[in-house]
Amino acid sequence: MAEPGVEQIESADAVIGLVPAGRDNHSVEKTIAHILETSVPIRIALLHPPLSGGNGQPPTAPPNWQLIASPQLAFDPSALAQSLGDSFRATFETAQKLHSRACALVASDLSTTTVDWVSLLLQPVVEEQFDLVTPCYARQAFEGMINRAIVYPLVRALYGMRIRNPLGPDFGVSSRLLERVFSAPHARPHALPSLAAEAVTSGMPLCQAHLGPRNYAAPDWTNLSSLLARLLGPLFLDVERYAAHWQRARGSQPIREFGQPMYVEAPQSTLDVSRLIDSFHLGTRNLLEIWGMILPPSTLVELRRMARTAAAQFRMPDVVWAHVVYDFALAHRLRTISREQMLRALTPIYLGWVASYALELEHASPEAAEQRLERLCVVYEETKAYFVSRWRWPDRFNP
Amino acid sequence: MWEQVRQTLYQSTVGAVSRLASLLPGLLALLVAVLCSLVLAWLAAAILRRVLASIHFDERLEGWGVTGLAEYSPQHTPSLLVTRVVAWAIVLAGVVLGLGAVEATVTSDLTLRLFDYLPNVAAAIVVFIVGAIVARYLARTVLIESVNMNLHYARLLSLGVKWLVMVCTIAMALDHLQIGSGIVHLAFGILFGGIVLALALAVGLGSKELVSRSLGRESRFSADTEEPIRHI
Repeated sequence: MAEPGVEQIESADAVIGLVPAGRDNHSVEKTIAHILETSVPIRIALLHPPLSGGNGQPPTAPPNWQLIASPQLAFDPSALAQSLGDSFRATFETAQKLHSRACALVASDLSTTTVDWVSLLLQPVVEEQFDLVTPCYARQAFEGMINRAIVYPLVRALYGMRIRNPLGPDFGVSSRLLERVFSAPHARPHALPSLAAEAVTSGMPLCQAHLGPRNYAAPDWTNLSSLLARLLGPLFLDVERYAAHWQRARGSQPIREFGQPMYVEAPQSTLDVSRLIDSFHLGTRNLLEIWGMILPPSTLVELRRMARTAAAQFRMPDVVWAHVVYDFALAHRLRTISREQMLRALTPIYLGWVASYALELEHASPEAAEQRLERLCVVYEETKAYFVSRWRWPDRFNP
Repeated sequence: MWEQVRQTLYQSTVGAVSRLASLLPGLLALLVAVLCSLVLAWLAAAILRRVLASIHFDERLEGWGVTGLAEYSPQHTPSLLVTRVVAWAIVLAGVVLGLGAVEATVTSDLTLRLFDYLPNVAAAIVVFIVGAIVARYLARTVLIESVNMNLHYARLLSLGVKWLVMVCTIAMALDHLQIGSGIVHLAFGILFGGIVLALALAVGLGSKELVSRSLGRESRFSADTEEPIRHI
């Protein structure tokens, strides 16, 4: 039986968008079958990419489910970032058209999606009146390093909420928050990274759900620096957009959590950080002039000092790293140099921090890794005053 | 004889004064044109600034993905850049209009040729400024990308790109100035080829690494997932 289009469905209580990270039709079909096992008493529209392989037919849906094939959710490896943005937008627009109360996005590797994911992402919105449900994945010390090093500590220090994965990519969102994001006076090219910041600054209740292990298919980014630029660009834009709010926030508060936290042991393979330290050394030899336009002299001196230490003793103090991230966020606002170049120039310092972190936690337990992350977050919070001061008086002498 | 000298001096003075007097309407026209264009430019800039602010031009531009423009804008606001470009274009138009009026009153061959040459000088200056900006931007981009690709000759590549663009720019500017066009073309060819050859030789041995990196890009990303450290 052919699936109905959005036009043929009058309304739904919730919309789920399946955003595949690959072309694997089989896993999409399997995920749909998994999700349809979820027992919920509400009407749900499940938006999925068109199924062309196999028999091309989606599984039979229970009466309260509607399956909608949307070409906008199809995987396009040539324009991944664009394609993700389009997929999210298509899901959000469908949710608005169908006057849904809640909307869930599933964008991680679909092979890890379980029945619980949908209920964990939707129930807090539908039953507990939360406006945003952010994901928490099973924690492994050396996974999601950009989130560990920059995104989580920065968002936590700035907005005062301990949101483990502010950039998702799996979310549960209320219609109220969707409306707020999409009815903003100026069109937002990157609405998804703004969800957490928008919810916090608008005083909307938010929580996080422990979804378990997550596999994120390796994206076809040209390299790490592109990845950094694409992730940090929207984040730094939000820092500028919500400056009035985060300058008032102090400390940080935990947010309500659903599900059970899970830890995953790091693989036993030996860590080889020499490549990371080499990248850092290469950066200090060649990029000091560019970093000099972004960082104050004291930070440059620290970076030079680190470049002189032996590989085994290589450490980047958290204070220096937090200052670096804050200074890059400020340079993004001031447009000291082209934003794209500036974000890419962060890569060697970031790799230096990763090397330092890896050397410190090589044989540490997941709990020790969590404590290490907590210490980093506290340093971000303690050095926030430095950022506020530089943000307000960027031209003031800063040795 | 003194009478003849006096006569000659008198005629030359009368000639110089009359030539100066014939220039005066032109100079006055130039002054009026420049003043009018300044007033017009100020008015246009004020109106444009308000319009651009009301449509949130800077934010829209960023939304469309045009972010590089801000770096070269005064106070990093593209709307100010647009406003200033329009204002200076109006002033320039006024100056050209005024110069036209002066030119009409000028009869000396040398002055006429000088006026004909002025647009070439202006074009050469514009070419040079644009070339220098492009060279700086490209050199910086190449440097950052090369460092991020772990290429140990990053600085050399960056310098090579900078001087390739600068040599090309200088050749174009000299071509506009019509200075030794033949020699410039020849010198440009030799220099450009020389830099490319020098870069090829210098990078030659290391390029194996570069080629293998670009060819192995796909496998590099799949390898990333197998490494113990994952960035996402």
